[in-house]
Amino acid sequence: MWIAIVAVLVGYALVRVFAGYPAAAQPAEALRRRELALVAAVADALFPPGGAVAESGREADVAGYVDRLVAASQPRQRMLMRALFFLFEHATLIFPAAGGPGGLRRFSSLDASQQEAVLERWRTSRLFPRRLVFTSLRALCTLGYFASPSVLRHLRLAPFAIETPVCEADLWYPPIGASRASLRRGRTDLTPASAGVPLALDAPLAPGYAEPQR
Amino acid sequence: MRENGVDLRVFADYDRDVTESVDVAVVGSGPGGAVVAKELVDAGLRVALLEEGPPFTPDEYRVDGGISMARTMREGGLRATVGTVMPTMQAICLGGGSLVNSAICNRTPDFVLESWCERFGLKHTRAADLAPHYDAVGEYLGISQTPENVLGRRNLLFRDGCRALGIDSEPIARNVRGCRGSGECFTGCRSRAKQSMDITYVPDALRGGASVLTSARVEMVRTSGRRATGVAGHIVAPFSGRPSHRFRIDARAVVLAAGCMATPVLLARSGDLANRSGQAGRNLQFHPGVAAMGIFEERVDPQFGATQGYQSKHFLRDGYKLETLWAPPAVLAVRMPGSGHALKQRLAEVPFAAIWDAIGSCNRSVGRVVPRRGSLDPRLDWRLHPEDTPLLAHALHTLAEIFFAAGAKTVMPGVHGIPEELHSLDEARILRTHPIRPGDLVLGGNHAFCTTRMHGDPAQGVVDELGRCHDFDNLYIADSGVFPQCPSVNPMWTVMALARRTAHALAGAH
Repeated sequence: MWIAIVAVLVGYALVRVFAGYPAAAQPAEALRRRELALVAAVADALFPPGGAVAESGREADVAGYVDRLVAASQPRQRMLMRALFFLFEHATLIFPAAGGPGGLRRFSSLDASQQEAVLERWRTSRLFPRRLVFTSLRALCTLGYFASPSVLRHLRLAPFAIETPVCEADLWYPPIGASRASLRRGRTDLTPASAGVPLALDAPLAPGYAEPQR
Repeated sequence: MRENGVDLRVFADYDRDVTESVDVAVVGSGPGGAVVAKELVDAGLRVALLEEGPPFTPDEYRVDGGISMARTMREGGLRATVGTVMPTMQAICLGGGSLVNSAICNRTPDFVLESWCERFGLKHTRAADLAPHYDAVGEYLGISQTPENVLGRRNLLFRDGCRALGIDSEPIARNVRGCRGSGECFTGCRSRAKQSMDITYVPDALRGGASVLTSARVEMVRTSGRRATGVAGHIVAPFSGRPSHRFRIDARAVVLAAGCMATPVLLARSGDLANRSGQAGRNLQFHPGVAAMGIFEERVDPQFGATQGYQSKHFLRDGYKLETLWAPPAVLAVRMPGSGHALKQRLAEVPFAAIWDAIGSCNRSVGRVVPRRGSLDPRLDWRLHPEDTPLLAHALHTLAEIFFAAGAKTVMPGVHGIPEELHSLDEARILRTHPIRPGDLVLGGNHAFCTTRMHGDPAQGVVDELGRCHDFDNLYIADSGVFPQCPSVNPMWTVMALARRTAHALAGAH
């Protein structure tokens, strides 16, 4: 009898912790469904739709960016980021969000106002470790939000197009991963060094950041 | 291995284990190692320069802050101290930190060098002793003050605020030729204006006959009695660090310039070398930095202008230096208060914002570097001393004064427990009166020092004034670890000057 009760409770706990996440819209490089859901939820709570910058965290594909960043990271950093996501997603099962029994859910399952309240609680906590967790998570999401070309265009912070001079060292350094034998540049490809002409504020934007042609 | 007449090797070039013999093996291609390699080649020595990271060309730069850090920084740019938690970074690429720093060049102030000599038993490290080396490096790299036409409003507002208060300030001298004001120093200069080591000293070392082995992770310094006999390690894949072939470089002398966070780990992993004094890995110091953001009525357009173009050394003797700052927007936005629509409102103010920072000469705040278990990455134990916390709060208050003098309507000091926005000097006074704890500050510390400090007394330091380890006849160190204390200003030029002196001493001795 007791064994059955414990098994049911454990099963319920596992479902609450691990199950019921939506399938990812696109295949992820590194993150699991639950991690993508958490990052997307935090991103939307940090950067909700509308307001001073129209694009939301979800529209900016913050989760996709964080997925790529985690995939590009070394194993130890990857593990730490995963632990961060797990901690934040499930902390509300121990310290529920305000708003009664409905607050005893995973972060990604809370409603928007509860999520924002939870973020604010972590951000303003008197405990340094809690603020550190919040800052780390927000840093990852902010990096993702500012990777969006339309966000950068809106804020007039998109990088300028720059014609890069070719110096002698560029004739020697191959693309990362390629061998030096693959180099095809020669001395005729050298170009004059920068003359120090200041960039204009209305200079064309770097490829990938310009407004898409309609 | 020779393509275009130079001996440069990248990961894809290695198809077998490497064993070679040279006069000098130099570990690390940052400002210390690159200078040593070039100077030794000029002196006619056969040199192997070993770098764990790959060479980056502008095609490999990423203007996105997060991805750039993941590619160019050790531990993906997520390294931090423990004790007092403070992010700190170390580059992993040909040219080291010079590829991704803001090119600031300052000579260590005379009063600091005097203090080093008096307190650490040094006889030949005064300003006049180092001047020839500073001058030579400065001329080679074209170090000069940032021209006004690429300062941008963000830098000029700092100048104006300082002038209004009677605070000395100046354009920052940098190793840059032809700056266009893109503000992208931290992610790699797409204008090829920054004279980083990978396009200056390293190519000259290559032209002079040096072998440059990239993707070469040195794991051990080999020794016999009082002599270093070479180095050994693995060839590792870029980014993943996956090992492939082994290498061994036999050498008549070895120079470690792996950086003050890596060199002590290498010494420890090699059998606690050069540590009869017990000082290797100890005395870790930083210039902890704090930053504030000011919002102005009119657009600042902070994305244009030299990344760090103006500075004030007015308060050096009080323990801090002030400077302007720009970084990838995402990195700066990380410190903005609020979340949700309030955060978005603040983001919308970034075009009206300037960010300035202060670095502290926190000689009381010390720590140590120890090898992390099963890794060549360091563990950095470091604590901000309680008496250094008010110093940084004081510096923030001075920044607030300059902001308001320059016309800012709001200043965000980024200190927990203090209002997120300050609207007047009266309100800013709280930075002087409120008890602030280390954990309340948002710190950053990218200048690290002293882990293999120089000292005239072999019982109290790891190297002598010329960078030679007291315990060895031919093992040298040429990175910021040899500083006996923090220099109070940005360290790169001093690292290069000391490295040049070390190279000349080594060339003379061997």
